[in-house]
Amino acid sequence: MLSRFITLAVASLMLVICACERATAPPTEGEGAVSVAPEVAGKPRIALIMKSLANEFFLTMENGARAHQQAHADQYELIAQGIKDETDVSRQIQLVEQMMAQGVNALVIAPADSKALVSVLKRAQDAGIVVINIDNKLDEGVLAERGLKIPFVGPDNRKGARQVAEYLVQQLKPGDPVAIVEGAPNAYNAMQRKLGFEEALTAAGMKIVSSQTANWEMAQANQVVSGMITEHPELKAVLCANDSMALGAVAALRAAGKLGEVKVVGFDNISAVQDLLKQGEIIATADQHADQLAVFGIKFALDILAGKQAPADKETPVDLVRKP
Amino acid sequence: MTHRINRRTRLSFLGDYLGLLGVLALLVVLCSLTTQHFFSLITFRTIANQIPDAVIIASGMTLVLIIAGIDLSVGSLLALSAAVLGVAMVNWQQPLVVALLLALATGLGAGLLNGLVIVRWRLPSFIVTLGMLEAARGAAYLATDSKTQYIGSQIEAVAEANILGLGLPFAVALVTVLALQVLLTQTLFGRHLFALGGNEESARLSGVRVERVRVAVFTLAGGLSGLAAIIHCARLGAADPNAGIGYELNAIAAVVIGGTSLMGGRGSVVRTLLGVLIIAVLESGLAQAGAGEPTKRLVTGGVIVAAVIMDYYRNRERL
Repeated sequence: MLSRFITLAVASLMLVICACERATAPPTEGEGAVSVAPEVAGKPRIALIMKSLANEFFLTMENGARAHQQAHADQYELIAQGIKDETDVSRQIQLVEQMMAQGVNALVIAPADSKALVSVLKRAQDAGIVVINIDNKLDEGVLAERGLKIPFVGPDNRKGARQVAEYLVQQLKPGDPVAIVEGAPNAYNAMQRKLGFEEALTAAGMKIVSSQTANWEMAQANQVVSGMITEHPELKAVLCANDSMALGAVAALRAAGKLGEVKVVGFDNISAVQDLLKQGEIIATADQHADQLAVFGIKFALDILAGKQAPADKETPVDLVRKP
Repeated sequence: MTHRINRRTRLSFLGDYLGLLGVLALLVVLCSLTTQHFFSLITFRTIANQIPDAVIIASGMTLVLIIAGIDLSVGSLLALSAAVLGVAMVNWQQPLVVALLLALATGLGAGLLNGLVIVRWRLPSFIVTLGMLEAARGAAYLATDSKTQYIGSQIEAVAEANILGLGLPFAVALVTVLALQVLLTQTLFGRHLFALGGNEESARLSGVRVERVRVAVFTLAGGLSGLAAIIHCARLGAADPNAGIGYELNAIAAVVIGGTSLMGGRGSVVRTLLGVLIIAVLESGLAQAGAGEPTKRLVTGGVIVAAVIMDYYRNRERL
């Protein structure tokens, strides 16, 4: 009875998956939504492979790319895929292999790991696919070792973080104690943002009394910042490597009755911080134009396919966002 | 015979709490010695502010473990209930009370579904709630469009309210613990839980309506996730669809530190509260000492296992 139920469940699941997949694709556990624009001969097919679609940032990126494709439907086809969570590296490698099997012309990818993806991307490039790296930069050392050149199209996170911190220090005095809330320790972006914050802070003579990770998460940042203000009651500012953590920091300050006394900055300019920016509870953040990030990569891939541009790194804008 | 066992249990009753309280006191002393500002009212207020949602979830988990079940979906249910709360207030512009009731109903409903599926097809709760862990998380992303919903001052009022000098969330957590402890120790329903966890067949034979009890416990655990979601949102002023990831494991850790058996038939909600406090003091102390992420995780992991080992020896002495 029980085993029959399970068999039935598995069988129906397989049916659903097969119905979603294209006939050419090997059957997989389909957690990423697969969308294929109607096939027209001659148009280049571009695959966009992203990290977690559960993350607002990547969802915005995907929606931006879809909107661009719809507006330029005569120029290219888009296959957009994401993985379940940001650390599911092996699933992302599998997706690259599937896209190769589907014979796409270009691959625009936000790698879940800056080292582990290099080898499969080399195979893609060897197979004649144009590969563009967006969002999370592939490791220079590993690329050089494999003799590989993959153009990176994306913002300079370090510069963005530096801009935010430079704006913040204008409102502080040299020697003021400040703290940093870092992103996930294994993420390239997190390291770059931390470095950017540190550069501007040291240049202005601030004292960094604490620097801890909250893994990009609001609730963890809330806990970490609560601890920071207890241990360093004299703290003047908290610099958060993303806006979710800045929200957690603001909540911790509110609970401790220190809102306004300790200044908060974030990064990403997500919709949830707009009110806080207006009220001045978060004084600044950085906008790296998430909706355009994938589009920049796609446009660049189209240019290379059309022979209009040679592959090279390309920097996209990051803007400081202040209280309106 | 039974009489003598009862008396011994009653005598060791205080000892039960003393062991855990000792560990807690030791941790507080250690943290106070190693960091400058730990031993202060602010630290304890911070901890009291941070733990209510964890306490409520762990209380529900205690009941589930007592009936020898497991509920892996509590973290995702927290996220889903929070998502409903956020969307109800931000997008649908509902009044606070309606949004709070919707969040509670979401938790209760999902918990009820867990219970009904487990009982109807006699499936292991591990599998069913694992499915719910995935499904509820997906639903939370869907409801919020994967975006954090900023709610603001309306919901924060819930966290800022005071009752006899205690924050409302902390008071709610304490009342939950006490109510569940009374439910467990003073009511027929409570005795049925222990009977079911100890031996399902003999419980059934002695007239316990096993299915109903099981459905009730999973519904309660779901509803408590909804309650925890409200407190979580109130603390952060926002509903995050990624909230509560890994909370099921933290809850299980706290419950087990509190001496509740994973095999069922034994447990106490008050001890679970002490378990949550031990983990919270440890994490707070480590954060204030500026310990890095790897150190924090190593120490926390070690303490969880050490606490259970201590419990093993104390139990052996008693036998």
